[in-house]
Amino acid sequence: MMAYVIRRLLLMIMLLFLLSVSVFLLFQALPSDPARLSCGKVCTPAILNANRIRLGYDRPLLEQYTTFVGAIFVGRTFSPDSPEPIICAAPCLGYSYSRHAQVLDLIAKAAPVTFWLAIGAFIMWISVGVSLGIVAALKRGRWPDRLIMGVSLIGYSFPSFFFGLVLLFFVVIQMKLLPIPSYISPFENLGRFLQTMILPWIVLAILYTAFYMRLTRNQVLEVLNDDYVRTARAKGLPERTVVVKHALRAGLTPIVTAAGLDLAGLMGGAIISENIFGLPGLGSLIVRSVLDSDLPLITGITLLTSTLIIVANLVVDLLYAVIDPRVRLS
Amino acid sequence: MVRSQSWLFRTFAVSVVSALLIAACGTGTTPTGPATTAGPGVTAGPGATETSKKGGTLFLLQPNTSLEWNQIDPQRAYTGEDLAFFGATIYRSLVAYKIDPDPVQGTSLVPDMATDLGTPNADGSEWSFTLRDGLTWQDGSAVTCADLKYGVSRTFANNVINQGPTYAVAYLDIPANPITDEKDKKSGFLSGYYGPYDKTGQEDFDKAVTCDGNKITFKLNGPHADFNYTTTLGFGAVPNPTDHPGVDSGETYGQPGHLAWSNGPYMVESYSTGNGGKMILVRNPNWKESSDTYRKAYPDKWQVDFGIDPKVLDQRLITPSGDDQFGMQYGGVQPENLATLFADSDTALPEYASRAISGFDPYSRYYYVNVQKVKNVKHRQAMAVALDRKAILANVGGDFYGGYGDGFIKPNIGADYAETGFYTKFFGQAVPDSGDPELAKKLITESGEPMPALTFDFSDSPTNGRTAAIVIASLGLAGITVTANPIPSGYYSVVFTNGHEFGVAGWGADWPNASTVIPPLFTDEGGWNLSHVKDAAFEAKIGEAFAQTDRAKQALLWQDLNKYATENVFAIPTFFGKSQTIAGDRVAPVYRWAAYGSWPYAEMYVIQ
Amino acid sequence: MRQPDHLRQTEKPVPEAYLIVNNLGVKFPTEDGLVTAVDGVSLSVARGQTLAIVGESGSGKSVTALAIMGLVNRKSASVTGEVWLDGEELVGMPEGSVRKYRGSKMAMIFQDPMSSLHPFYRIGAQLAEAARVHRNVSKSAARAEAIEMLDRVGIPAPKRRIDDYPHQLSGGMRQRVMIAMALMNSPALLIADEPTTALDVTVQAQILDLIAKLQSEFDTAVVLITHDLGIVADVADDVAVMYAARVVEAAPTNRLYATPEMPYTLGLLASIPRMDRRIDRLDPIKGNPPSPLKHPSGCVFHPRCKYTDRVPDDACSTVRPELLASEKDHLVRCHIPTAERREIAIEALAELTAAPAAVAGAAE
Repeated sequence: MMAYVIRRLLLMIMLLFLLSVSVFLLFQALPSDPARLSCGKVCTPAILNANRIRLGYDRPLLEQYTTFVGAIFVGRTFSPDSPEPIICAAPCLGYSYSRHAQVLDLIAKAAPVTFWLAIGAFIMWISVGVSLGIVAALKRGRWPDRLIMGVSLIGYSFPSFFFGLVLLFFVVIQMKLLPIPSYISPFENLGRFLQTMILPWIVLAILYTAFYMRLTRNQVLEVLNDDYVRTARAKGLPERTVVVKHALRAGLTPIVTAAGLDLAGLMGGAIISENIFGLPGLGSLIVRSVLDSDLPLITGITLLTSTLIIVANLVVDLLYAVIDPRVRLS
Repeated sequence: MVRSQSWLFRTFAVSVVSALLIAACGTGTTPTGPATTAGPGVTAGPGATETSKKGGTLFLLQPNTSLEWNQIDPQRAYTGEDLAFFGATIYRSLVAYKIDPDPVQGTSLVPDMATDLGTPNADGSEWSFTLRDGLTWQDGSAVTCADLKYGVSRTFANNVINQGPTYAVAYLDIPANPITDEKDKKSGFLSGYYGPYDKTGQEDFDKAVTCDGNKITFKLNGPHADFNYTTTLGFGAVPNPTDHPGVDSGETYGQPGHLAWSNGPYMVESYSTGNGGKMILVRNPNWKESSDTYRKAYPDKWQVDFGIDPKVLDQRLITPSGDDQFGMQYGGVQPENLATLFADSDTALPEYASRAISGFDPYSRYYYVNVQKVKNVKHRQAMAVALDRKAILANVGGDFYGGYGDGFIKPNIGADYAETGFYTKFFGQAVPDSGDPELAKKLITESGEPMPALTFDFSDSPTNGRTAAIVIASLGLAGITVTANPIPSGYYSVVFTNGHEFGVAGWGADWPNASTVIPPLFTDEGGWNLSHVKDAAFEAKIGEAFAQTDRAKQALLWQDLNKYATENVFAIPTFFGKSQTIAGDRVAPVYRWAAYGSWPYAEMYVIQ
Repeated sequence: MRQPDHLRQTEKPVPEAYLIVNNLGVKFPTEDGLVTAVDGVSLSVARGQTLAIVGESGSGKSVTALAIMGLVNRKSASVTGEVWLDGEELVGMPEGSVRKYRGSKMAMIFQDPMSSLHPFYRIGAQLAEAARVHRNVSKSAARAEAIEMLDRVGIPAPKRRIDDYPHQLSGGMRQRVMIAMALMNSPALLIADEPTTALDVTVQAQILDLIAKLQSEFDTAVVLITHDLGIVADVADDVAVMYAARVVEAAPTNRLYATPEMPYTLGLLASIPRMDRRIDRLDPIKGNPPSPLKHPSGCVFHPRCKYTDRVPDDACSTVRPELLASEKDHLVRCHIPTAERREIAIEALAELTAAPAAVAGAAE
């Protein structure tokens, strides 16, 4: 098990290195000139050159890369000629000159919004999706199954952004059942927080719920036919124990993987939901950074969210090893 | 205008509105034209007296499509709404635009920190201003000539302070940077003076800007008849480090942790960005009303809320409740709400007449034409007359988006505008808004050369995609082959260096003088010469206009230059832009202040 | 803790059948039609006795076993007939009551011990669970029982092994664990469904020996389900041959091996690989078993039967034969007259081998 963890960690470090190189090169290759983007209204060649020097884009590519990666480990000073330079302590993901803020600070401010959005939706879809999926599997072929699968099909084919806009229009603007969404931290005002988040949660959860109903149903149906479930019945265990302790324990394991990765993906920003409901999370930040061509921010977010996915993969795999003893030795 | 970093650009690029312009932006100091709706709010609220206007809190609501302000630093701020707001609250300037609903009045200068509008020497190459008494910083200390001089000097420190107006660099009599080798980091300085942080060339600056007691004198590198207008951009005072050590933090000045110092009636109490970010301005106890005849300072407090979803922002102001009654919009109304608020592009519906505004914004839209790639003027004229501007206008939003342009100087600039007659008389026949392919064919024949194939650059969006289709179709009718070149919206500014034959752009004047329109667009020194014009005769005449101190005669020169640029199709004029905004129902007065195309912040109050 | 009754084993009186299956039928409705998995099967086995049910895959032998255990899902299949266990009829009994007998009075082990053990639980937990579901014993007591039982089924170092996961054991060990688990409550009936098929040949004999040993210790009635007649000879007292959902021949083991009467049984015997026969003499039955959706008319075996010409009037393909006694304890489902059947058998067996008894050395 220990060797397995170490192997996975080494692999992860290598992946992160490749990631940093590719993210760096990718944004170098974009057809935008960062010096031009931070130019003023009047952009003469002299000003362009001045900006290029100011931002360090006059340096060789390798030096730019080492500066970029070095900042993550040892920090970096931006605008060194300023009376008060900007000290970006490690792990420094860069500084957004257009937002006058450190990339990590921007991410740290947006991340809790995305975190709450993702967690709330996650709880909804896991509790509803998985339990209905189990019900459908146990009542296979009969009306509860058909009803749940029908609902799932509708949820699948529903355009969630459209549904979000419809909800926003009717529930908030027409009927005024909920206040106009304006994010507030749950620690500041839990009531307002819930009122703001409930619609985004629902919209985000719908699609995933549909998916997890199907996934769970298929998984449970599969394990219900497995030999060890038959063994459990042959032992004379009550059906409830057979299903819960034997079938679900094994059947829901792959769902842990899927759910972990889905959650990690969402932590990187639920772009559509956040934008519909004006939630200032990572998804909104990504969209805005792209629209503004805020390269340091785009780079920082990309690096961080990809790292998140890689780490989530590792965590899910380790978790899987804890759940499924067979993985540990292999 | 050119700043890709401005809110306006984002608003246009992101929202469906349009994005015809390349990077709209900046500053808009352009006077608004007669089309501006002046609601009843103009003549104060019902029965309001000077005392009843005092008190309360006014709210400025910013959409999440903008940054938390564009720039706050006095040497960096360059967008109209920001200049107007900070000018009304925390930054005083030597002279300022009169706060008046009338567009002509509203773009005329009045003294602010200076006792008068400034005194030029005979040829306008040296200007002096005398500071009035009782000017104070928020700590009670006096605002001195040294603070003004220090502020101006910061513009030269472009290794730290960037993106702001650079008129100080362009106009002050300071030698050029001797270092031109691009490998040398010092080649990045725009002038031989490297600013107050590096201090190289300080003696040259000290000669160009001198303080004599309360009198500040600027020595310019040539005649600039309208230099007092120039001082509204980037010439703001900043506490000088000798008297106020540690106040100027350089890069971060004005940002959270380094709040800007006020010399106006309000001061920044708190400023936070990000989620639920706010800027709160409270009364500056050290501001002396007696020293300021310009600002009314009615509300006790200003609160700026950031990061609001634009659709939500509209809804909050259309049916305002609670604090939103005292709110006003930063940015424009979303297209889907225009029909709710307006009868047509100039008039609000009666129930919103007192608080919704539609009218000219500071921007002219045009399609630049790269004259180095389309060398034959007849070819360029053929492009201009073939273009179906009617269909394009309908596509980008119709009358709310703007009216047809006939040149690059907008009517709301005042004296410098005159009809060019390009679409009405120039060809001996009127060119319909929907284009005249036959005339275009005729022009191509007259050119005696085959029409080159063209590529059309535009910022990629569904609306712009449809516009490109119209461009291709209408030029196609005249036998001109056009290929569309969509560019990811954030990267549109690459056309600056890599533009094709023609593409979408926009510009607004910095102050009511075409010296901030014609030279930037069509000379290399101007900084936005997408057309790559290199026309010696044209440039000579521009020099003539700069030197002309008689404003009326100067206006005629600009009119001629505008006509010349239009007839030679350095660019195809498309539209004179309009925009729409709304305020809550307990805010007054509501009108678009011509100076910045903004709210008249300095005289706004809460209707009690 | 119960101990096996050695006295009773030594006395060995004429045993009364512990399990009696009477006219058992199992039908599954499927999308393609009604599948008849078991049709009119009757069996019986007494404590201490072993009944082997032999047949190809799909013959219905496993479903028969599952039906006895009450493991055929009543929602998706119809089960008819009677299953008498220790004097109680199970088919008509509510599911909850049958459950109480599963694992206590009757237990079952399966073909693939790897997939039949739960991969996520330690074997100790799985064994203890079997005890605790039927008897009110503490966790520690159940664990002690489990260790003892592992010891009895021949798992070395059971105290350590009890905390292993199934994947940490070899195939033979896993099957021993399955057996231990089945015997946790000293059931009087053990159904072993192909218990050695998934195992190495060397291990197969050990497992069969173990079952036999424990059977004698516990005085258990064993139903051994297999497709391999070769392993039956040593362990079974009686054999029932199934083909296409039906029992086609049933007899005491010795008798069946000496004088098989049904041509299908003959075929099965002929296909046993044996040390005394060359491989190329292996003589499998031609053709394939019928689809469970549509059993042939008449004798279900007739499409593959070489001897249908011995029966007049096409009776083989038109008239369904009954399972009739040709002698005491020897039941056969065949239209061919009894005398001819014996001739056929003698001929066929003689042709197959020079060995005096077809029975000999069947098991490895």
